[in-house]
Amino acid sequence: MAQITTRITATAGVAAVALTLASCSPSDTEGGGDDGPVTLETWISQDMETLFPGDAGSYDNISVLDVVYDGLVRYDPETTEPYNYVAESIEPDEENTVWTITIKPDLEFQNGEPVDAEAFARSWNYTADGDNGLYSNYFFGIIEGYDEMQPTTDDEGNITAEGATDELSGLEILDPLTLQVTLTSPFAGFATMLGYTGFFPVAQECLDDVEACATQPIGNGPFQVTEWQQSQELTAERWDGYTLDETPDYDAIHWTEYATGETSSWADFKAGDLDLSFPPTAEVESARNDPELAERYVERPGAALTYLGFSGYTDGPWNDIEFRKAISMAIDREGIISSLGSGQATPADSWVVPGGVPGGEAGTCEWCVFDPEAARDALERAGGWPEGEKLQISLGDDDAEVEYFTAIGNSVEEVLGIPYELNIDPDFFTTRAEQGYDGMFRNNWFPDYPLNENYLSFYASGEPGAGHWGWYSEEFEAKLDEAAAAPSLDESVALYQEAEAILAEEFPTIPFRWGFSSTYYSERLDNVILNPFSGAPILREIEVSVG
Amino acid sequence: MGRYIARRVLQAVGTLLLVMLLLHLLTTVAIQLNGNPAQAFFGDKVASPTQLAAVEQRFNLDDPCFDQVGNPCLGPFVERLGQYARGDFGTNLRGREVSDIVAAAAPNTLRLFCVVLITWLALGMVLGSVAARRRGSTGDHGIRLTSVLIDAFPVFVLLIVYRYVVAVPLHRWAEETFGEDSWPPYWFKPSFDADHPWATVVVPGILLGLAGSAAFIRLVRAGQLEAYQGDHVRAARSKGLAERHVVVHHVVRNSSVPVVTAVGLTFAEALGGAVITEGLMNIYGMGGVLWEAVRNDDVGLVLGIVTLLAAVTVVVMIVVDIAYAVLDPRIRYD
Repeated sequence: MAQITTRITATAGVAAVALTLASCSPSDTEGGGDDGPVTLETWISQDMETLFPGDAGSYDNISVLDVVYDGLVRYDPETTEPYNYVAESIEPDEENTVWTITIKPDLEFQNGEPVDAEAFARSWNYTADGDNGLYSNYFFGIIEGYDEMQPTTDDEGNITAEGATDELSGLEILDPLTLQVTLTSPFAGFATMLGYTGFFPVAQECLDDVEACATQPIGNGPFQVTEWQQSQELTAERWDGYTLDETPDYDAIHWTEYATGETSSWADFKAGDLDLSFPPTAEVESARNDPELAERYVERPGAALTYLGFSGYTDGPWNDIEFRKAISMAIDREGIISSLGSGQATPADSWVVPGGVPGGEAGTCEWCVFDPEAARDALERAGGWPEGEKLQISLGDDDAEVEYFTAIGNSVEEVLGIPYELNIDPDFFTTRAEQGYDGMFRNNWFPDYPLNENYLSFYASGEPGAGHWGWYSEEFEAKLDEAAAAPSLDESVALYQEAEAILAEEFPTIPFRWGFSSTYYSERLDNVILNPFSGAPILREIEVSVG
Repeated sequence: MGRYIARRVLQAVGTLLLVMLLLHLLTTVAIQLNGNPAQAFFGDKVASPTQLAAVEQRFNLDDPCFDQVGNPCLGPFVERLGQYARGDFGTNLRGREVSDIVAAAAPNTLRLFCVVLITWLALGMVLGSVAARRRGSTGDHGIRLTSVLIDAFPVFVLLIVYRYVVAVPLHRWAEETFGEDSWPPYWFKPSFDADHPWATVVVPGILLGLAGSAAFIRLVRAGQLEAYQGDHVRAARSKGLAERHVVVHHVVRNSSVPVVTAVGLTFAEALGGAVITEGLMNIYGMGGVLWEAVRNDDVGLVLGIVTLLAAVTVVVMIVVDIAYAVLDPRIRYD
């Protein structure tokens, strides 16, 4: 009898659990109902660690901060030209050295603190302070007083003393809404930089507890972060106190974090749980052939350049420009790109993205065409390739890139008969920074702000043998200085184009491909525009229909 | 019993220290050979030596021993042990508290393991028992064949097929049939949902459990076959005990000892499966976190997590040993 009772109780228990699971409804936080808040469902990668503006440097935190904070300028979604947003005006002096920034009145942070000159000065000082070790620190190198804020190091790279001061001497608060910035040298493009994440203002409450602010930002933008379960999901809700006009109609944004980024979100997109996504390589073709999906697709060339560099600091045939030309003309860019990575790239024939930023033009690279005949001639002029040696091609541990670089190696071997070996180095960045390669290696540049200067200035190594490629050109660096001092931005852009021409002439690196951004979106979205610069959907522009 | 447990715990602490030291040495050598992870912070940017130094300091990588190949870096290791002793598990490379990461990731992995364990036991006990009871029948052959098939089918194939082929239509169907605000759509959600952790971990857990269940089915079958022929079973039957009583108390219980052993042993192996399951189903769990930590030379995080995992494994082993004593009266630890 006792056994029977136990069994009946157990059966009843199981039945009860099953019924509970089936009948009671889960608390749906995603606003699925018609009357609830309208939430945009999108994705970010799981490794986002911070939302502190001065420390944010990845695609993910930049796209989140773009709706949580407002910068002095924002960029036109079509042309990437900057226009004043939080700034009333940004005026340089005649030499482009002293800049006066006036801020719109009556703006507030989400905690009620004023967004004023002080808010910008405190943010910039904190990020520029080398002792804090923040990602965007290097942006402030152009403001006077930066050097005094950096720690001193000994020959082995150990810190021996902290920076002497905590404030940029080049920042002066003229009145609550006016900030004067003195640069170390003229720079006509300064205003263009000011929309970058690192230049956002921060509230005093944020600096009082930076750690808290890194996960619960106190922004001045249209959305407020309400909950972040780090590495799992992030929610931002519309901030009622927002007074500027660039804000969308929907009520909240919910980001699901994915371990392997966008493509792992595809199944959720297809299941109707996400509004934006792109398929993994294996499913690209079937997505493309789906007529219904094709209507909900946007694409645009991206601004990130993948290019090849050589170890100019070691002896080798690559120190001869003819050899570099030979390699460049031996690479079948079109063929490689159309057959790999679902064609999500564009062949590159310039160092600055054409159309994506002011001053970017296609075709500045004369030797970026596939021409096997000319390539073999150039190799002959360079004296050929040493018998029995292999060309080492180094890159980081990334499967998609390995495919591309295998194809590059094959293309070079086929045309020039140069055998190659791939050197897949998990610590690629370190080795490259320490000039540890011997041969050819991958490079990638994702620009920080839309100006052609940003694609060029990092080639200025300062002395022969320095930098990633051991390349130095006095003429090139003089041209950069001249461009920075130009009286207007337009003239400056033109001079930077001349600097690009010097690069094209001396040919230290070989442009390979431009990134390519594309996304599919759900039926309820409209006006999905990709940022020509970052490639991310501009969340502020998206319209979400209800019901 | 008490003394036995104390001895095992002491052994465990020793093992733990040894594991930690070994891991510390391995990750240290990795940093020394591969160069400082601080450089990865800047990616494609050209960082000045000063910036690198500041970042190293910020993330506690500034001890000069990390630059000297072959230096065991015992200083930072002892310092870390001291921190652990005070209950401070330090931070990862980007300054996030290891304890926060574990607090977020461990419950998800535990949920997964919970479902896996139930699947193992349920499938193993039910199918194994049926196969043993009807030895030589079509059912027995069918079950044995199934267990071989399960073994031959890698878990990631199972998961990929499920996620990309089965889950999407099932999820949509469930939404249409039961409504968006009901549980079934969550069971078949293609990815984990942090707001509904149990509902979205059930199917991935069952699939991972299914993949590991073959060993259990065979173990249970073998154990019970032996028991059916045992003297004690014959004695019980000849006493006139009901067949059900004989099976439950003398066959099933006796055959449980190897099953419990296998649970303990497979536990560690399941973590490997968890890396795949967590990665594919986007579950933020210990497997995935550890995988990334190793890839990024994140010494603090690797040590913190492995220490915790080693501790848990040791505890599971001790629990298994104690379970022996409970299941088999002949085993006593005095």
